[in-house]
Amino acid sequence: MRVGTIITAACAVLIAGLVLTGCGGEEQKPAETAKKEMAPIKVGGLVDMSGATSSVGTPYAEGLKVGVKYVNDNGGIDGRMIEFDLQDTAYDVQKGLSMYKKMVGAGAVCIQGFGSAVTEALIRTLAKDKVPDLSASYSAHLTDPKTAPYNFFTAADYSTQARAAIKHFKDNWTEERAPKIAFIYPDHPYGLAPIAGAKEYAEELGFEVVGDANVSLKAIDATTELLPLKDLGPDYCWIGGTTPSTSVILKSAKNIGMDTTFFINIWGCDENLSKLAGEDAAEGAYSNQAAAVYGQDVPGMKVIMEMTDNQPQMTHFTRGFVSALTMAEGLKRAAAKGPVTGESLKEALETLRDYDPMGLAPAISFFPDDHRPNMAVFLYKVEGGKLTFIKEQILERRADWLGH
Amino acid sequence: MQGKCGLFFTSYRGEAQIFQSGFQKLMVGLFAAVLIAVPLGLDNYLVSVMNLIFIAVIGAVSLNLLTGACGQISLGHGAFIGVGAFAAGQCSLHGVPFPLAILSGGLVTALVGMVFGVPSLRLKGIYLAIATLAAQLVLEFVFLHGGEVTGGSNGLLLDPPQMFGFSFDSEIRMYYLLFAFAALSLLMVSNIMRSKYGRAFVSIRDFYLSAEINGVNLFWYKIIAFGVSSFLAGVAGGLWGHYTGYISGEQFNIGLSITYLAMVVIGGLGSVLGSVFGAVFLTVLPEVLNVLANGLSDYIPAITQRVGAIQHGVFGLVLILFLVYEPEGLAHRWRLIKAYWKLYPFAH
Repeated sequence: MRVGTIITAACAVLIAGLVLTGCGGEEQKPAETAKKEMAPIKVGGLVDMSGATSSVGTPYAEGLKVGVKYVNDNGGIDGRMIEFDLQDTAYDVQKGLSMYKKMVGAGAVCIQGFGSAVTEALIRTLAKDKVPDLSASYSAHLTDPKTAPYNFFTAADYSTQARAAIKHFKDNWTEERAPKIAFIYPDHPYGLAPIAGAKEYAEELGFEVVGDANVSLKAIDATTELLPLKDLGPDYCWIGGTTPSTSVILKSAKNIGMDTTFFINIWGCDENLSKLAGEDAAEGAYSNQAAAVYGQDVPGMKVIMEMTDNQPQMTHFTRGFVSALTMAEGLKRAAAKGPVTGESLKEALETLRDYDPMGLAPAISFFPDDHRPNMAVFLYKVEGGKLTFIKEQILERRADWLGH
Repeated sequence: MQGKCGLFFTSYRGEAQIFQSGFQKLMVGLFAAVLIAVPLGLDNYLVSVMNLIFIAVIGAVSLNLLTGACGQISLGHGAFIGVGAFAAGQCSLHGVPFPLAILSGGLVTALVGMVFGVPSLRLKGIYLAIATLAAQLVLEFVFLHGGEVTGGSNGLLLDPPQMFGFSFDSEIRMYYLLFAFAALSLLMVSNIMRSKYGRAFVSIRDFYLSAEINGVNLFWYKIIAFGVSSFLAGVAGGLWGHYTGYISGEQFNIGLSITYLAMVVIGGLGSVLGSVFGAVFLTVLPEVLNVLANGLSDYIPAITQRVGAIQHGVFGLVLILFLVYEPEGLAHRWRLIKAYWKLYPFAH
């Protein structure tokens, strides 16, 4: 009976909690116009800091926080501070949706999003509520304002990243025969997103697409999947995945003696790859990145180093930082024109032309009919366990690539 | 007029009534009135939580019919909800009016559910669980590789539902729509439970051999249970798709199936009211944890960012506590509370 009482009490607390939330919600009435002038600008953060993608979500969230702090330390948006409400969505759509509703209810004018599950579930809602979302889900279809008018991101989309590396390989191909290319990716929306576009472009450039292999994000061995691919003898192999799954692929490839050049998607390679896969296995792999790595000689890196007490940060951190800077630039432009709302922020972001986030990422432009931030990708190569900058590959802004 | 002390039934019809006393009818009526009035005084966020609850109620009550009443465990319910979402979504995209789209979504799901229910003739318990798990995995694959039908990895974008030129494009409008659907679903399942079919389901759950000896055609009734349950799951899916405006295979994963199973267990297996309790409990739990974490964030700054992780732990803990201390679910607890007040101040 006593346990029963506890259960009853727990239910009562739960109901009381909901009621209290209700009261809390109602108290937040819009501030008076006079006060609003200096009131903080509210921004919500929906990042997966636990769950499947937490290993990259956590540094990204840190980057966002430090980015917002940097903006606030430097005078904010015309003297108004950014109030950043960062919440963990744990890659859960329902959780993300209700957190979003709460943030917008509390007056957030912008969302800093993260994973594809929540970002894509919000596409329509964002457009309805007129709240821009700067996410870290770089699926190409989010760049077409016709389908996703309020979605933005600050790195080249997955398809562009794959195309940039393919272009680089083609430019450096010296043999007579056509280069062979294969694709390794998880059977998952994130893995599948760039494949069609990349294959099309590879064929256009004269590559021979020899095959595919599906390796799950949770794989612990990829030998079975890679053996048939090895026989096809690809010169280049795309790996789409996360850093842990990439390390599994690289290790398995080394075990079976697969001789190919790997090039890895943005979430599949970071500073931990050599540690996870072993320096030998990772050596020589190319990585597509959209932000500088720690210690690189660009103006923004000094800021990051200062703000983080010289603690090494992952490239995901830098991307979070860039996303916060870009948002702040949009907010400043919106504030200069009039009241800051989601709609005015969207319009302001669409006026960005070659905005330079202190050299930390390729210059960013958004157009009203084209939300591709840029067509530039930083190519890195793993050399001696470190990511070495190779070049910034810039592609043409082709209309037929928008959204694909 | 002098009333009776307690409830006495003089006919089977009386005993089978959904609302057995005038007081009960009054209370349900008042509750419905409160629910109709409540969104007017709530902010958008709380209305959205209520909307999620309504959808969860439909999903939970449908699973409760299959698992709680008929005893057929299903680990594929999340995927069935997905089938409904995609089917209803496709109908809407092809210009089918909203009510018909939801209905078609339900019917397609019923068909799919019945196909995957076929193994239940031969399989029981854990084996059936694995068979339905297979359904979950197969359907997840189909969602991802369905090409035009499911939008593949891009998913499908839907517009808010429209009926007779009226667009349900705000939280409050959706609230009344979802409320109506949830109420209808509850009424439907309550009515099934007190029909010949409901009694057959319960007899199969309690002991299949006795049921068969009593003339219950096991295969037929099991398939019907799968069909009806999947129909409602499909309706829930269709509503979810139109509510969020976006559907992708990722949303209907095994985690969703487990959540619904947990709702049914926590609420009370075989009880319609239990499904409501379970759905409310599991939808509100993360929100309350969030509120608590935000309240604590002044003292422990990092806690709001850890809530997601904590939540999974709390979810597991709650499930275990319920299985150990309240295996009959919240519905049982509710009955005890009612009995306590009925007899107050005399405990026994």
